[in-house]
Amino acid sequence: MLKIEKLQVSYGGLRALSEVSLEVGQGEFVAVVGPNGAGKTTLFKSISGTVPVESGRITLDGADLLAVPPARRAHLGLAHVPEGRQVFSSMTVLENLEMGAHTAAGKANWEENIAQIYQLFPRLKDRTRQLAGTLSGGEQQMLAIGRGLASAPRILMLDEPSLGLAPAVADDIFEVVQHIHQERGLAILLVEQRVAEALESCDRGYVLESGRTVLTGTHETLVSDRRVQQSYLGM
Amino acid sequence: MSPYPLWLENLLQTLATGIMVGGTYALMCVGLGLIFGVMRVINFAQGDFLMLGMYAAFYAFTYLGVGAVFGVYFGPIVAAFLAGPIVFVIAWFLHWLLLARVSGTAAQGAEAEGHYAQLILTLGIALVLQNGGLLIFGSWPQSIRTPLSNEAWFIEPVFFNKSRMVAFCVALGVALVLYLFMNRSGYGKALRAAADNPDAAIYMGIDVNRAHRLAFAIGIAVTAIAGGLVAMYYPFQPYVGLEFVIIMYTGVVLGGLGSIMGAFWGGMTVGLVQQLSTLVLPIQLQNTAIFVVFLLIVLFRPQGLFGRSVERM
Repeated sequence: MLKIEKLQVSYGGLRALSEVSLEVGQGEFVAVVGPNGAGKTTLFKSISGTVPVESGRITLDGADLLAVPPARRAHLGLAHVPEGRQVFSSMTVLENLEMGAHTAAGKANWEENIAQIYQLFPRLKDRTRQLAGTLSGGEQQMLAIGRGLASAPRILMLDEPSLGLAPAVADDIFEVVQHIHQERGLAILLVEQRVAEALESCDRGYVLESGRTVLTGTHETLVSDRRVQQSYLGM
Repeated sequence: MSPYPLWLENLLQTLATGIMVGGTYALMCVGLGLIFGVMRVINFAQGDFLMLGMYAAFYAFTYLGVGAVFGVYFGPIVAAFLAGPIVFVIAWFLHWLLLARVSGTAAQGAEAEGHYAQLILTLGIALVLQNGGLLIFGSWPQSIRTPLSNEAWFIEPVFFNKSRMVAFCVALGVALVLYLFMNRSGYGKALRAAADNPDAAIYMGIDVNRAHRLAFAIGIAVTAIAGGLVAMYYPFQPYVGLEFVIIMYTGVVLGGLGSIMGAFWGGMTVGLVQQLSTLVLPIQLQNTAIFVVFLLIVLFRPQGLFGRSVERM
């Protein structure tokens, strides 16, 4: 469905991504792991169009995504849940979810989606009128994911959903993400520093280091790889 | 003889005038506040768009026949409303032609986020509007002549100048409509989202550049309507914008930069301070009083009277 080929991105002469290729199939759970500064967030931003791409191709169902203006990409079924949540802090929880439903698919299935979102995150339902900026970090992450789901996406892109959260809260979030994937067959592209959790739940994964893909494979190959075990899993 | 002591009569009278004048200031400030809040652009030309609004209302009233059709009582109000869409179109066009090149996503990664280019551009637009106005409209002061400005309602012991009262009520109405638009309509909410977090708004599929164009045009139109209302009792010439741009910025900063409804109360405060100062200071110093209050606010409450001081990250 989503295919990235030889993507190259630079910031002011510094290469952030070089020749990164990646694929997400229908209903697949793909994880991209790697240390801080590996280029994971840059990868997401280039898919969403908020950083300029130097060379390479990004296609969605075979159509050139780079030719689509950034603000139109959400309408094609990409839901980007950004790093650090980035909820609309001066707006209420409900308004944030409404903003997620800016796409045609999101508008058409609003009632159904909102019910499902509240079912996944009952805490949001209790706080519909509260300003998003006053929520706790975990609640903001729930809202950010809920906002992504409200667009009725085909791919949910999660950028470091565990960032800055207490371990127990992060575990809850991972559980919900897995649940969404299994129950609805929604394709998920997850970027994480918490390698163990990310690899545990994915179908396939990529290890990114200093802007390059150093390793790729299925869940099993990655988890049993010596280097991954030593560098990331502490085994 | 009035049964009230003179000082009380004076106080009530200046309070009433302050609130009435403050209402129109509030509307101007809301326009500027909307533009700053959504675009983060400091628009130096806001006062000159106000001037355009005054002339738009004036020409609509005199030459387009609004005065003849609606009469001298309702004509000025209709003319002020018409100034809105006329100036809206001009602002929309100017954003598309010029401002979009140095703001919004075009400014991403530019030096100082494009602020230098924006300052120079809006200053340039201000100069062109002022001097263009001088060429086209002439330097002779104009006003929309209506008997309203010479009549008053009298509620013991205070006189309510009719033109100011009408301007106040209309300004309040327009501000209320804008408030409802921003908080209830999908467009308004999208504008607030684009103001709150432009990147996240793009991820939601909101076209941030279009949101900016809409905010700019609405902000200018609202200020233009306020100008059209003020034109009923305030003589104007092409440089009149300079007098008001200072009031607008004071109001917006008072209300808290970025807070759209805070700008309303900021503008109201400016009107009150300006009028109340005449009780103790010579009338020529009324704008000095505004600056004193402005400095005090900046010193002691830099986030503005209504701005939020802390935002949770």
